[in-house]
Amino acid sequence: MSKVNVNVNVHHLTRVEGHGDIVVDVKNGELVKCEWQVVEAPRFFEAMLRGRPYQEASHITSRICGICATGHATASLRATENALGVEISEQTEMLRKLVFHGEIIDSHVLHVYMLVAPDFLGVGSVLPLATSHPEIVMRALRIKQLAGDLCAMVSGRHTHPIAMTVGGFTHLPTLKELAAMRERLVAAREDMDETIALFKTLPWPAFERDTEYVCLRKDDEYAFIDGRIVTTDGFTYELDDYRKVTNEFMVPYSTAKRAKHNRESYMVGALARFNNNYDQLHPRAKAAAEELGMKPICINPYLNSGAQAVEMVHCIEDSISIIDELLDRGIEEEPLYEFQGKGGEGVGACDVPRGILFHNYIIDDEGLIQGANCVIPTNQNHANIEDDMRALVPQIQERPQKEITLMLEMLVRAYDPCISCSTHLLNVEFV
Amino acid sequence: MSQIDKVKHTLILGLGNPLLGDEGIGVRVAEELDKLELPAGVTVLEGGTAGVNLINLMEGYQRVIIVDAADMGRVPGSVFRFTPSEARFKTAPTLLSPHQIGFGEVLALAKALELGPPEVVIIGVQPSRIESGTGLSSELKKTIPQIIRIIHDELDT
Repeated sequence: MSKVNVNVNVHHLTRVEGHGDIVVDVKNGELVKCEWQVVEAPRFFEAMLRGRPYQEASHITSRICGICATGHATASLRATENALGVEISEQTEMLRKLVFHGEIIDSHVLHVYMLVAPDFLGVGSVLPLATSHPEIVMRALRIKQLAGDLCAMVSGRHTHPIAMTVGGFTHLPTLKELAAMRERLVAAREDMDETIALFKTLPWPAFERDTEYVCLRKDDEYAFIDGRIVTTDGFTYELDDYRKVTNEFMVPYSTAKRAKHNRESYMVGALARFNNNYDQLHPRAKAAAEELGMKPICINPYLNSGAQAVEMVHCIEDSISIIDELLDRGIEEEPLYEFQGKGGEGVGACDVPRGILFHNYIIDDEGLIQGANCVIPTNQNHANIEDDMRALVPQIQERPQKEITLMLEMLVRAYDPCISCSTHLLNVEFV
Repeated sequence: MSQIDKVKHTLILGLGNPLLGDEGIGVRVAEELDKLELPAGVTVLEGGTAGVNLINLMEGYQRVIIVDAADMGRVPGSVFRFTPSEARFKTAPTLLSPHQIGFGEVLALAKALELGPPEVVIIGVQPSRIESGTGLSSELKKTIPQIIRIIHDELDT
């Protein structure tokens, strides 16, 4: 019998509102405890929406996440539009895709450069990275600036997408702004090449575990907004049937909800999109994937970060194509939607940086929200993270405890989880 | 630097999440400031929970005034003006998520990259209630005029 004993307890009381803890206990070579404990105070977003006019929903829900503000706003608008039967114009659709791409790039660059790269470069976190490899951090900030400016150009400002509204936009970019942005996006190809070159050199852990990958899919493009729900186990659902996929449940040691579908758990996010929709990636993104040695179906969860790098390339290229089309057809002022006195129920879905996000609203004939449900991607990944940990620990339990802890932390980081989301209370001691 | 130049480069940044009660004090103050006439060259931005993006937002300003909820171990509703050199921010020992990057981490990163604004002033407000809900506690509602007075004093210096 193995004599191995491992006790990992990564406790993250980093913010008042929530934390994610890794608890692993191996006794005599036997895994007796393996838990991914996510403790978040309930947020009651649904309750905050009840009784509010439909126009406020996207502005309230965009505050759920400081990183996915546009994602929440878009899912919220699509839910409202589907509930009220609002058709959106091609121009609105294109502009929404553009701002969405900005957010995907913004979020992914933050994750791959500031959370993932420091592990592989042996510096632990982004602060020492800024000293040891300032050029890498400066590149990340340059890409972030571009992504932020892309979002602000379309949605009105840098932090919250105020110009996005039911049926369209209250503010439109000018052709001059679009042309200038196009030039910057083309110039960013160099930074993208450097990004892929950097990630190619990183020693990804060789851990694999087959699971079900879930995301949106459209017939004609790599889907981020709308489409149908697909899984690598061969299932397809219309958006209205999202609950058949999410099947939310709770476990006693964690306050965040979890989800399962065909298996005990499933994965959402960049790797899920890459695995289901690889055929629709831009050729440059496919070339980037090849550089990284990635092909679908990739079952190494650490490579979710690789898929994010590939998606950044895709979003840069697709943004250039969208801008070309907008420059060609011109930007037109469009009439804003006016409420017709008839409510309804609608589901909106977007594949935000961390995976598929659902908003579901019931709106009454006064235009007030009477019911709301919101399923965030991170909650859909919790069970899968834990199943990965359970498969990984026996493979690495002979290694030093410090290394085991790091491997587990890196695994959690690869999922880019939204924990302690949007709580940034300063914690100060005076000197 | 002349007085005018100095004012021209001031950014007032209201931080926090208004969906979490008193956590949103910075954003509420930014909304109030938007209604007021401020000296030319003063920009008010709502930083929300923008994390690392704050580095880009602060770029180019001579002075940044931050308004944020801060656990300073004081009575709820206490308002305290300080500079980064007077405080130590408790930061996460290990980051599992980019959501854990707060203003303390942002300032440290900006400093390491020599991108930080030359002058940073923080107006910290001790919260009473950090929980789901879009309103401020009565203790914090009362602090808004005081915070605005402190900001005016800062702009006059």
